[in-house]
Amino acid sequence: MIRYIVRRILFLIPVLAGVAFCVFTLLYLTPGDPAKMVLGEMATERAIQEFREREGLDKPFLMQFANYVYKAVTRGDIGRSYVTKRPVMDEILAAFPATLKLAAFAIVIAIIIGLPCGILSAIKQYSIFDTAAMIFAMIGLSMPVFWLGLLLILLFSVHLRWLPPSGFDTFQAMILPSLALSAQSISMITRMTRSSMLEVIRADYIRTARSKGQKESVVIWRHALHNALIPVVTLCGLQFGQLLSGAILTESIFAIPGVGRLMVDSIKARDYPVVQGGVLFVAVAFSLVNLLVDLLYAYIDPRIKAQYK
Amino acid sequence: MDAPVLKSNKKRGALMEVLFRLKKSPLAMFGFFFIIFLAFTAIFADVLAPHPYQRQNLSHAFETPSKQFLLGTDEFGRDILSRLIYGARVSLQVGFIAVGIALFAGGMLGAAAGYYGGWADNAIMRVMDVMLSIPQTLLAIAIAAALGPGLFNLMIAVGISAVPNYARIVRGSVLSLREMEFIEAARAVGSSDLRIITKHIIPNSMAPIIVQSTLGVASAILNAAGLSFIGLGIQPPYPEWGAMLSGGRQYIRDYPHLTLYPGLAIMLTILALNFLGDGLRDALDPKLKR
Amino acid sequence: MKRNGWVVLLIILACVAGLTYHQMRRQQQAEEYGYESVPARSASGEGGRTDAKDVLVVADQYDATSMDPIAHNDVPSSRAVYSLYDTLIFADDEGNIFPGLAESWELLSGTEYKFNLRKGVKFHNGDELNAEDVRHAIMRATTDAGARIAVYSQNVKDVQVIDDHTLVIELKKTDYSFFPSLTHSWAAIYSKRAFEELGDGFGMNPAGAGSGPFKFVSWQKGNKYVLERFDDYWGPKPRVKTIEVRSIPEPTSRTIALETGEADIIFPVVHNDLRRVDENENLVLYRKPQNSITYVGFNVTKPPFDNVNVRRAVASALDVAGIQAASYRGVGNAPGSLVPSAVKYSLNDVTPVRERDVELAKKLLAEAGVNDLRLEIWTNERKERVDSATIIQAQLEEAGIKSEIKVLEWGAYLNGLLEKRHDLFILGWVNSIPDPNYAISGLLESSALGSTNYTFFSDAKLDELLDRGRGLEDGDERAALYKEMQLYIDEQLPMIYLHNDESIAGTRKNVRGFEPRSNEIHSFREVYFE
Repeated sequence: MIRYIVRRILFLIPVLAGVAFCVFTLLYLTPGDPAKMVLGEMATERAIQEFREREGLDKPFLMQFANYVYKAVTRGDIGRSYVTKRPVMDEILAAFPATLKLAAFAIVIAIIIGLPCGILSAIKQYSIFDTAAMIFAMIGLSMPVFWLGLLLILLFSVHLRWLPPSGFDTFQAMILPSLALSAQSISMITRMTRSSMLEVIRADYIRTARSKGQKESVVIWRHALHNALIPVVTLCGLQFGQLLSGAILTESIFAIPGVGRLMVDSIKARDYPVVQGGVLFVAVAFSLVNLLVDLLYAYIDPRIKAQYK
Repeated sequence: MDAPVLKSNKKRGALMEVLFRLKKSPLAMFGFFFIIFLAFTAIFADVLAPHPYQRQNLSHAFETPSKQFLLGTDEFGRDILSRLIYGARVSLQVGFIAVGIALFAGGMLGAAAGYYGGWADNAIMRVMDVMLSIPQTLLAIAIAAALGPGLFNLMIAVGISAVPNYARIVRGSVLSLREMEFIEAARAVGSSDLRIITKHIIPNSMAPIIVQSTLGVASAILNAAGLSFIGLGIQPPYPEWGAMLSGGRQYIRDYPHLTLYPGLAIMLTILALNFLGDGLRDALDPKLKR
Repeated sequence: MKRNGWVVLLIILACVAGLTYHQMRRQQQAEEYGYESVPARSASGEGGRTDAKDVLVVADQYDATSMDPIAHNDVPSSRAVYSLYDTLIFADDEGNIFPGLAESWELLSGTEYKFNLRKGVKFHNGDELNAEDVRHAIMRATTDAGARIAVYSQNVKDVQVIDDHTLVIELKKTDYSFFPSLTHSWAAIYSKRAFEELGDGFGMNPAGAGSGPFKFVSWQKGNKYVLERFDDYWGPKPRVKTIEVRSIPEPTSRTIALETGEADIIFPVVHNDLRRVDENENLVLYRKPQNSITYVGFNVTKPPFDNVNVRRAVASALDVAGIQAASYRGVGNAPGSLVPSAVKYSLNDVTPVRERDVELAKKLLAEAGVNDLRLEIWTNERKERVDSATIIQAQLEEAGIKSEIKVLEWGAYLNGLLEKRHDLFILGWVNSIPDPNYAISGLLESSALGSTNYTFFSDAKLDELLDRGRGLEDGDERAALYKEMQLYIDEQLPMIYLHNDESIAGTRKNVRGFEPRSNEIHSFREVYFE
């Protein structure tokens, strides 16, 4: 098990190097001069030259990349923001709590709504509830988050005046963005729970349990659910990883200063170190969540645990 | 040498079979016909649209639906219905071409990785891992920023960011097919690699690819609308649903119809594609018959 | 399975707890290091808002970019700076100058300004203001650190400290527009000691550095910054204890925040919400003409736009007043001159707005031998500018001119402009200093080529007139000169004036003492709750 974890983490290294290279190349190709953006339109030629030298932007592309990797590996230094002059890591960690909070709220909402809906759908397959739940799940999957966000604002902030349309400091302010963000996850969890439950219910051991004369509720709750939940747990984990990294649109509609908005703002401001560091951070977070999910998966499913040995 | 399910010389039969199974799911049929309808709208937009999409009439701005303007007008007095109709053209173009790009690049890479295995597989899939660990929206934003705005660049940005999905799926199905007997048989009679890939492997891994592509068109359209929403999409005055939504959101309290219709258009299209994709998955997978 | 389920739950809980702990520790560290991510004080800002309101919540469109007076050149940052620091002199909306940190001043010559500093002024770190601090602040603005505001500081030669409370600013050459520029946030004074202690973090956390009516508490970028009343302030003390400035970019959300009482003051109020705020009996709407201009510029180096008649043709194809009205919907007006009305010697209200004449446009193009003109209209993402571009495109089409719109994000836009790849472009210019020199020189003088002169208009006659204008003291001669310049520019037509904006703000009814400034650097010094 430990060896597996170590191997997975070691595997991250080339992936991260690749991510860094990708981002470096993209930024290199992006029009717009960071020196001009940072120093302002009226900056003197000398100041711009000095900035380029200080930040190593005058060096050839591969040299810049090698330098970045060297510093990151030897000193754990991923640079300072051009704009705020603070270490990139501080910038990211300042924005991360908002994103984490948003993702956590969203996944909790998704599980609270999605799981029971999926279970009920499966138990009462082909019922009106089942059909309705499946159609709603499909609609949830198809709803663009930016439109859903606007509709939620229109309903709950403009007409009903129940919830604020922006911000994230208070509990109330978190509700709308989390709801908007969770729509996709709710749908996916509902669908996954349903199909996984259906598969399990048809399995032989359930039939055995039933034929032994177990009460239906015991069959469902004790036997079916526990086994059906295994893939659902995986999905929740994967969704959480996605939410952590993919809340850009939600953050921009609801004015939440999270990692997604930091990234977009930094791309616009040509704050290269923050973009690079941010994408790396997101990639690491995403990969670690995935690793964690795999481990959880192994933990709750003995069949898989055996494979890691 | 006989392949299961979808063999090329039995293509028509297989296609009919799929359609037949699809017919059993009303939702999938809804999706199917909606997409056909949309494609029709997009192709004949010039004939169908009651007004030119860019025609401004500032004295008619913000009109609610009427006989003259069936879905009302936007902030420039442009006919929303006409813009939606032309918008279908943009969205379908972006959706299908982006998926085409992703499918072509991803399919080639995936097939090569799966077929040759070894270091080629390793190298290709590690690159895909790299792309996968950057969130797709962020990747698309970065590519769009690098390329600049415009329809074509939008397709490329959305397409490239979806490449790894297809590479993975194609590789997966190629891996499972590679060891099958009919492939070995083909190899034994001396077929070239290219022939084996194009004649045997690709046709036989079609099912998951078709499903993924259908769902992929949906997510490409959604992705493109998202990019347009944050201003990295198509240039005005050309109508794109995401851009229409973004442009009207300032007026959402007074004139919600500016955002309502484009939002509905996006949602219905995605919904239709998802229904169709789901239906196709069931229809193409003999195990999952309901 | 059951046992495993519990273990999984425990692991998840442990992760959440760990993250929370980590965040709390970071906060603690941040406090120690100075900069922080979350408001450090639990005092009044968070949760504990009582009925006796002493927290003023302001909602702005954008967040500040830096609180270092010379490291920015944007309005939200200038507003923060104006609360945190003082300048030597202050100006009101009419351009009248009155004492700030300097009690009195004297023009020794065209290039020497002597200031007598107020005594007993305290910085937020407890130090007393001294001429050395002023020297340090002004001289630092002339270095590369001040590149963003070099247009104001570049003429400073030296600052001589006579004694603790007396100093002389020496200029390289006579420029009568320099003195009023000292009211701008670039010339805000901060404690030298505090600056040196804060180092690189200064722009993000200027704690202790200023002498202004409010001191820095915390700043969470992209969300809000919190300032608190400085009890040792030398001037009239602010009446609210705490101000919290949030950034809410969505215009609709900003208005809702005001309506629900989440915010006490908001700006700007978007045009389609004007009536809503105005008619709401709990709210007050403020409007004031702003010293800014939005223009449609030509790249005059690129044929055929190097030909003044082609420029005139394009201008004649446009109904400027109509475009302005349709894209800004009742806010502001179409300008008659480059110099905004509130700035002295402006011809804005005298010169008529350019009228549309499609036939003339066609005739001029034919005469210039340009047929089948195609061009690109560039703009950044501001909604009203994109709207203007969209209407411009439609109107040009009617004059037989084909055009394509390019909406670029700021970095790419700037880059394209500097590489002279543009034809027509839409951009704005804010005149934060009440002197006509800044309204013209930054946009059209040769010295601004490669920085803010994106029309690349370079004209010996205008350069000479501007130079003469700066060398003259206010009076009839200077007035005549600036009027001549405005007429000359109209004739040369490097740009079409599109829009004079308004400073629009909304407040709750119980907010008193607030008035928007025409340069948008709104002040909270006198605001109080009724």
